[in-house]
Amino acid sequence: MDTNTHINYEEQKVGYYKVLVGLLLLTTLTFVQPHMFFESYTFVTQLMIGALKAWMILMYYMHLKGEKLIGWTVAFSLVLVVFFFLVVIADVNSFQFKDVSHITSQPHIDVDYHHASHEE
Amino acid sequence: MSNSSNSGKSYLEAGETHYAIGHPKSVFMQWMLTIDHKRIGLMYAAVIFVFFFVAVLVALSIRIELFAPGAQLFDGDSYNQAFTLHGVIMIFLFIIPGVPAVFGNIIMPLMIGAKDVSFPRLNWFTFWLYIFGALIALSSLWTGNGFADTGWTFYAPYSLNTNTNVITTLVAAFVLGMASILTGLNFLVTIHRLRAPGMDFFKMPLFVWGIYATAWIQLLATPVVGITLILALLEKMFGIGIFDPSKGGDPVLFEHLFWIYSHPAVYLMILPAFGIMSEIIPVFSRREVFGYRTIALSSASIAGIGYLVWGHHLFTSGMSDLAKTVFSFLTFFVAIPTGVKFYDWVATMYKGKIILTTPMLWALGTMITFVIGGLTGVTIAMIGADIHLQDTYYTVAHFHYAMLGGVVFLLFAGLHYWFPVMFGKMYDEKKAKIAFYLNFVGFNVLWFPMFIAGYQGMPRRYFDYLPEFQIYHQISFFGALIFISGLAYMFYVLIQGMKHGKPSGTNPWHATTLEWHLPSSPPPLENHSKVPYVDFRPYEYHHGEPVVKFDYKTMKRID
Amino acid sequence: MSHEYVPEIAVDRDGKKHEVQGWQGDFYGGKLGFWLFMLTEVMMFGAMFLVLTYYYSLHTQDFLDASAHLNRLLGGTNTVVLLFSALTMGLGLLKMRTGDVKGAKTMIWATIILATLFLGIKGVEWTEEYTHGVFLGLDALQSGNEHSRPFGQILFYGMYFTMTGLHGFHIIIGIGLMIWLVKRIDAGKVSPHHHILHFNIALYWDLVHLIWVFVFPYFYMIGAGDVTGGAIHGH
Repeated sequence: MDTNTHINYEEQKVGYYKVLVGLLLLTTLTFVQPHMFFESYTFVTQLMIGALKAWMILMYYMHLKGEKLIGWTVAFSLVLVVFFFLVVIADVNSFQFKDVSHITSQPHIDVDYHHASHEE
Repeated sequence: MSNSSNSGKSYLEAGETHYAIGHPKSVFMQWMLTIDHKRIGLMYAAVIFVFFFVAVLVALSIRIELFAPGAQLFDGDSYNQAFTLHGVIMIFLFIIPGVPAVFGNIIMPLMIGAKDVSFPRLNWFTFWLYIFGALIALSSLWTGNGFADTGWTFYAPYSLNTNTNVITTLVAAFVLGMASILTGLNFLVTIHRLRAPGMDFFKMPLFVWGIYATAWIQLLATPVVGITLILALLEKMFGIGIFDPSKGGDPVLFEHLFWIYSHPAVYLMILPAFGIMSEIIPVFSRREVFGYRTIALSSASIAGIGYLVWGHHLFTSGMSDLAKTVFSFLTFFVAIPTGVKFYDWVATMYKGKIILTTPMLWALGTMITFVIGGLTGVTIAMIGADIHLQDTYYTVAHFHYAMLGGVVFLLFAGLHYWFPVMFGKMYDEKKAKIAFYLNFVGFNVLWFPMFIAGYQGMPRRYFDYLPEFQIYHQISFFGALIFISGLAYMFYVLIQGMKHGKPSGTNPWHATTLEWHLPSSPPPLENHSKVPYVDFRPYEYHHGEPVVKFDYKTMKRID
Repeated sequence: MSHEYVPEIAVDRDGKKHEVQGWQGDFYGGKLGFWLFMLTEVMMFGAMFLVLTYYYSLHTQDFLDASAHLNRLLGGTNTVVLLFSALTMGLGLLKMRTGDVKGAKTMIWATIILATLFLGIKGVEWTEEYTHGVFLGLDALQSGNEHSRPFGQILFYGMYFTMTGLHGFHIIIGIGLMIWLVKRIDAGKVSPHHHILHFNIALYWDLVHLIWVFVFPYFYMIGAGDVTGGAIHGH
């Protein structure tokens, strides 16, 4: 049932170590980034690094490379997740009663709330 | 497990099955431990129809309560619990497993020439997971502070604050969701891997296409609602405020996540049902189906578009105007592939040799009821109309026309159509037709008045109403009586057929797809005697006769 | 069980023979099935990240403040631990495929040890947070009392415990699966020629790693620029 029993352990091992080094480097990058560069875009930058790591894991550790059908299914589900994100976040950000909603106008609530806790 | 153990005996006979564990002697345990897809499908059918009748009786009690204004049978609280019970059973225990679990299991592997599904043991496990979930759901009837009173949608923040037993119901819905996911997963792998040699995707019967599209929804949409229910559970236990506006959470987010699953879920219900329609129409028109590819691809595109339209449930729930507009626009697109299917079916019948058997009657009846259900859906996809009609009886009538008059009617059609495959016997056609007419008339009398009542402002989920709506409720009540007697009579006829029916032979309908080319009826344990090579389209008729013929010993074509 | 399985042959009208794929011994089918299962996990965690992003966009500053107080040292250590466990798992599978069953078992045990280490560190971290009064059900994460954190922080910590908890649950399941795998190898049910179980458990472990790759920056790093901090500073 297995198609490739003729693989060479020593040859393949090198690939795993290469990916490991790459992932370790990216992890280091994760730690220095907030203090080194793109400081005001930490959120996005961190997720970009995460996405890069995820891509390496998917392609090399999970052997997604060369998997046609499975690759498409993964891509489809990721597109779907992204679509859900876009729509829901766009909805909350374009809510026309943002200014009067007590969920979205956090500072307003905060003031009241701190006031209350000081009294106690 | 031997390679080909076809002894020629029916799969229903004692001992004629493979087991998940061991080799039980008792016939009962043989059923409990079976991994045969046909037996599992039959067990699903038995269980879901029991639940169906329970929910029907709950619905009848609701109708009795609504016979006159004021409280008769229920007070407000138990009325809320009654419609929640009705909804939870109908949605989670009956219609979501519905067609895929029953006919997806029994018929789909036969149609593609497989010996079983890809993971038969997982299939067995899934069935028991479903039973486990059902038991949890039912247990909440007697534990805690009574059954949930939130409606089947569990809308936050009410579901977070009510002290009825919502927690158990949420857990049950999660477990049932898992069962649904695993069913879909199993079918997807089966359809990808186990098709008979030569059968490419565009040689598959259309029912298999329906199951395939459904399975993708089961797989990718269900986890979203699963995790939403888990978050609601944690919210109830730890109060971190995820969906509670008084704690900074946003209930609209719950509704988003809930409908991200639950709207595709209605396509999950209807797509395999459409598949049944696509089987029945060509067979009883004795014509090759018109526009095979467009029907197949419309199933896929309904599943795809179905993911993009959930927001039309939120028009009155505090969604942004931008999102409302976008969702209203996208929703209209669902009508296009659905329309394509309908025109294809009608075109198939055109100049065909139409034979009005019971399955065909059910299919034709559904064409009427589903068109009403579908088009009224388009009217409430318009934001303006929806503001008026949301949460009225108009909406109630709409989704009952679509779900009951669409999915369940087609489930019944399939039940009559594949009855000979499942049991090797034939029911009494004359009586079965009477049952259909009773159901069809009762159904319309029951639900059509609700369109009018809803349009005039009768709100949904109220146990009391203004006197001016009484006439509609009373007509509905009489419709319900006709409908329920029709249902009871239909099942009586089918059970009589199961017990005393005449042997049907393997292909009583002169159909063409592979489930009608089995060596015996009911089929043996491992289905076809040999796996055929498929080099033909699924519905080939010539002058009203099936083109493809097999030698059933070798499964070679002899036409 | 399926060692003796011989696929059936279907013959077409020209007499050509076609091998029939049975459900028995279908390596690709097993792989496809498991990938599909992993997609459900992606959708599940995807939905939770959606909740997280939704509230990040509503309560941005609260999220950054709360994130700044998570223990980045322990979180980072765990990231590296998982990274190495993914390596040992991968190498174990490689050894299995090349016929080195004993080496494969060693690697699986190494993965189990690393996974346990991960859970241990996680436990230390949660305990530390608990002693600072930040835990599900404690006053700080309930609104409307004197210890209450702001809404956004409660949501942040609530999701933090939910998601790292669910991730930890996956780690526990993973350890169970790996122990089962070792038993199956010992029983001779998993071998270089029948290693679908090993293959899928390795995939599962990579998925667990993959989820952490997003959980880690999402919780620990987004607020890292604001404060010098490592440990929780309490009130």
